[in-house]
Amino acid sequence: MNSAVRAKAKRVRQALGRSLGRDGMELDDNMVLTDLVAESFALIETVINLQEELKIRLVQDDLRGVNTVGDLLSVCAKRL
Amino acid sequence: MIGENERWILSFYRTSEISGSLFFGRLAKSLKPGSIQHDMTKHYADEAMHAWYWTDCLNKLGVEPLELGNAYQDQYLSAAGMPVNIMEILAITQVFERRVINQYAVHSRAAGVHALVKKTIDRIVEDEKWHIKWIRDALKGMEAEYGKNTIDGTIERFLQADREVYEKTVREHEERVRELLRT
Repeated sequence: MNSAVRAKAKRVRQALGRSLGRDGMELDDNMVLTDLVAESFALIETVINLQEELKIRLVQDDLRGVNTVGDLLSVCAKRL
Repeated sequence: MIGENERWILSFYRTSEISGSLFFGRLAKSLKPGSIQHDMTKHYADEAMHAWYWTDCLNKLGVEPLELGNAYQDQYLSAAGMPVNIMEILAITQVFERRVINQYAVHSRAAGVHALVKKTIDRIVEDEKWHIKWIRDALKGMEAEYGKNTIDGTIERFLQADREVYEKTVREHEERVRELLRT
């Protein structure tokens, strides 16, 4: 992984951590998102937070099949 | 005093307004400064006031609000999937607000509606008209970014979900809403 890709991944991870009120660097990629947020509206809020903070736009297709922290980080990093 | 069915319906409205307020309040906190943040902040404050109007209305009619579980709009997620960006959130809200205005109009026209209930509905509907307007304007402003066809398609998807949710809600609570729908 080159330094630009690493920096991007770190930025996304930190943004997700802030959205979830956790330390992003300690989030395990295998954690299931619905286990991390109490209810569906909190998940929507997290996804919107990420887009606002990273200045990206996600669409339905991006989130199809996204279940874990790693899935979401990967989708966001691709949009950066 | 009002009957148990009307008490349930007014409590249902109250729960829905509270859910809307909490959701928009959280979003308003996340959004970057701009016209959408500005209008969404007022929108969430309006919904909170509407919940208060229904609470006060129920109390003045001599009853306490019922504690209900899920709000009407909670069911949208299973019917249409999760909105994933701000355009989709505004689209689903536009559809929901139209449903709210129609429902309040039906209730207001029903026979034997208490004057206080009618007054509360009239007060809320004035705000709801502005909600529809600001969201319509915001969606128009997003056409360059998302494309008009995508926005129209998203609204259509949520309209379909709304029809399903409304029919399911009426079926589930037929006994309670029968008098309202008969007029």
